[in-house]
Amino acid sequence: MRLSLLLACAAVFTFGCEKKTTNTDPKPADVKQAVGDTPKPADAKPAEEVLLLGEVGSLTGSEAAFGVSTRDGIAMAIDEANEAGGVKGKKLAVRVYDDQSKPEEAASAVTRLITQDKVLVILGEVASSNSLAMAPKAQEAKIPMISPSSTNPKVTEVGDYIFRVCFIDPFQGYVMAKYSHDELKFKDVAILTDKKSAYSEGLTEVFKRKFTEMGGKISGVESYAKGDTDFRAQLTNIKKLRPQGLYVPGYYQDVAVIAEQARELGLKVTMMGGDGWDSAKLFELGGTAVVGSYVSNHYSADDPSPRVQEFIKKYQARYKTTPDSLAALGYDAARVAIDAMKRATELTGPAIRDQIATTKDFPGVAGTITLDANRNPVKPAVVLKVEEGKFTYVSTVAP
Amino acid sequence: MQPEALGTRAPRAPLLEVEGLFVSYGAITALKDVTLSVGQGEVVALIGANGAGKTSTLRAVSGLLKPAKGTVRLRGDDITGLKANLVVGKGLAHAPEGRGIFPNLTVQENLDLGAWLRRDTAEIANDLEQSFARFPVLKARRLQLAGTLSGGEQQMLAISRALMSRPTLLLLDEPSLGLAPQVTQTIFRMLREVNAAGMSILLVEQNAHLALNLAHWAYVLETGELVMQGGGKDLLASEAIRKAYLGE
Amino acid sequence: MLYDLAQHLINAVASGTIYALVALGYTMVYGVLKLINFAHGDVMMVGVYVGYAVAFLLGRQAASSFLGFMAVFLVAMLACAVLGFIIERFAYRPLREKSRLTALITAIGISFALSYGFQLDVTLTKARDEVTQAEGYRLTSTPCATGDEHCVTILPGAAARRFPTIIESVEWVNIASADGLNEVRLLNWQVMSFLIAVGLMVALQVLVFRTRFGKAMRAVSHDHRTAALLGIPVDTVIAGTFMLGSALAAGAGILYAIKDKQVQPLMGMYVGLKAFVAAVIGGIGNLKGAVTGALLLGLCEEGVVWFGSSSWRDAVAFGFLIIVLLVRPEGLFGRYVPEKV
Repeated sequence: MRLSLLLACAAVFTFGCEKKTTNTDPKPADVKQAVGDTPKPADAKPAEEVLLLGEVGSLTGSEAAFGVSTRDGIAMAIDEANEAGGVKGKKLAVRVYDDQSKPEEAASAVTRLITQDKVLVILGEVASSNSLAMAPKAQEAKIPMISPSSTNPKVTEVGDYIFRVCFIDPFQGYVMAKYSHDELKFKDVAILTDKKSAYSEGLTEVFKRKFTEMGGKISGVESYAKGDTDFRAQLTNIKKLRPQGLYVPGYYQDVAVIAEQARELGLKVTMMGGDGWDSAKLFELGGTAVVGSYVSNHYSADDPSPRVQEFIKKYQARYKTTPDSLAALGYDAARVAIDAMKRATELTGPAIRDQIATTKDFPGVAGTITLDANRNPVKPAVVLKVEEGKFTYVSTVAP
Repeated sequence: MQPEALGTRAPRAPLLEVEGLFVSYGAITALKDVTLSVGQGEVVALIGANGAGKTSTLRAVSGLLKPAKGTVRLRGDDITGLKANLVVGKGLAHAPEGRGIFPNLTVQENLDLGAWLRRDTAEIANDLEQSFARFPVLKARRLQLAGTLSGGEQQMLAISRALMSRPTLLLLDEPSLGLAPQVTQTIFRMLREVNAAGMSILLVEQNAHLALNLAHWAYVLETGELVMQGGGKDLLASEAIRKAYLGE
Repeated sequence: MLYDLAQHLINAVASGTIYALVALGYTMVYGVLKLINFAHGDVMMVGVYVGYAVAFLLGRQAASSFLGFMAVFLVAMLACAVLGFIIERFAYRPLREKSRLTALITAIGISFALSYGFQLDVTLTKARDEVTQAEGYRLTSTPCATGDEHCVTILPGAAARRFPTIIESVEWVNIASADGLNEVRLLNWQVMSFLIAVGLMVALQVLVFRTRFGKAMRAVSHDHRTAALLGIPVDTVIAGTFMLGSALAAGAGILYAIKDKQVQPLMGMYVGLKAFVAAVIGGIGNLKGAVTGALLLGLCEEGVVWFGSSSWRDAVAFGFLIIVLLVRPEGLFGRYVPEKV
């Protein structure tokens, strides 16, 4: 009884203080924030003295963690560029708008960046759906936009001003097919795919094709729909096929349950997945059942390459935490933009766009970036192994 | 408004007194200024054409409808607007139109529900036996679902169930509806017996002949208003009534 | 083949019994009010979160003891009974004489209010020094730091969370074929869940068909006006039915959380929809129908995945509903079997 009272209080408390509890980020939703040597770039000083970049991110709402990491990565890249003398003798600054993880907010934020703040380059967003809401506006205004981590192929198809610095979804299917065939020596793999998710279907399709081309056998494809929490029927079918590996290119929430139920059914198989697994929640929800699986991802903090380790050292010194892939991709996106601005003959949208388009062998921390004709990078992915409570780096797979 | 009375009414202690009752459904007024009474031990019939407001009168008395105006008193207690489930406790039972038995419950369960407000287990068992004695067919079908009974048996059940609350006043709505003549006779014979044992009855009946034969006093309703009242036999003999309600 | 059959049957019955408990609530409320209580699944979700909070407050050790296990169930069921009462009293009762559509839209509104209300964040922090019980628990709006086991976010945002282990998974039966290629596994909680579900259904059956309240409930479900004429307090009976249905939903929710190991605010809509389908297949308003419909739905879903393609699971389940409605619009047990509640 006491507890139900407590819950009733909790409910009242929540409804009463909706504003306070939803915005866990201390800043107000409509924050204007500038980082860089010049604290108030556009307002305090004439616009000529500072080169303004725009950023739209989810600083509050369901994907706040993604937006905050990205913002931190970008801020670090801008500060480093300023320390190194800026671009064409001028300092850089970035204006950040929060879109509350909502596509409609993202669209209005990008409009403000273009018409009001007259930014040179737009960075963002993380979620493909938000990027897709922003891209047409940037395209129309001929302001180049670089998404750090939207992996849906459609984002850059919007037009020739839209770029990204992460690989696209289908590439991960190839990475895992290659890794399971070459390294894990699997000959026989089953797939459990989320038929409601374009992401999952995309990875599945490529995995299936590539793994078969390499001489492997797909023993069965089972599917579920996002929201399902009982996968026993599918897993019972898969168990009968006795595959060596099970490819589950879904999101961590479903994957965790799948792993647990597979173990309960006595299905002993190595599971594999994509960056959809990348969340601390995977361990909370899946416990030890996910241990021993392999996933493809953009970047790993365990990557021994000096470029990555140097980035991590700087990031840890600044933020007292290990950067995740979103921070790394934000950092890369900002640096690709700055690099293009340096090379551009004049600082206009079209000129910067042309330079971004020719980005080649750029040393990003989340892999070397060469943008192809479709404005998508050709870059390697990492393969991580799931251990208790963490992902550890095992390999890098080149395209 | 009280219409002129035909014949004289034997004086009795008042049991139910309805005064200036108005009932409306939205914009439609179903009852206009209805004033009537039922005395202790009296059978009062309410006759009239379809839609004259007979059922509405019963519903307003038993609490199924909230009257717009007027008062309803039972043994001097004002019960106007009291909820139906509380009116029962005051000693009024209403066997509704269409019998209102629960087809998804057994005969026995239907009867048990009639005694919902009573706690005197032994007396309830006694009354149950009495019902079975009155209608032996109910005893035979005790454990059958009430929905499987014939129309006549259902009516017997409905009246028996209403009596299970040991009311002082029984409201009956069209007990003869849809029944074969013999069954109707059985039921009216039983009503006469019950009344002889002291029960007061307010009877709504389309079969005016039957009703007026049984009733000590009767009211005639036309489009929501009382137009005539009088002794049962007196109305039966009246030319106007014979023309309008007895099809002669 | 036999092994497969056995394993799939176990899976199907596990889902089916849970659908059945939820479907019973739909069907009971429909019985007494002629209202599809679309918030029913969300009441279940609230029950799971209450169970979650109880398990958290008890701690892992206590929660997986028998008493802790019972406490999780009973508190969740009690809390949902109260919630059911509040919803009926303040949302549905004032609308009872209004049009059916008004009540239906209100039900949908409550469903959304619960499932989205529970996506907000409120944090429950346990006093670090457990001796200072006087301090009790604190409600804050700051998210928990990772690894702080004294802190739990209740009303935990949109994210799914793992339901605490209130019963350790133990394999009770493992029948393997001689070549070791096939096996059937039956776990302790599968058996317990089944027994609890059946126990609750039997208890409900007794309540509805053997008690005074049950008699009144059946009477009200058929005709609440006539029931009132007999002195039955209709409002009380309806409120009681709501509380009963909500408590059953909470029990079902906990079983569901034990089975699928996670809780999230939208789970109610998902399970609720399935249970609603089950209730309609069985003939809404009919208790036996709800249970039969739920078991059939469980078997149907499992069978589709076994024999056909898992992509067709929901399509076939809903197709089954359409066929039943076409052939018997009143549902399998509708109308002709009169134990309607």
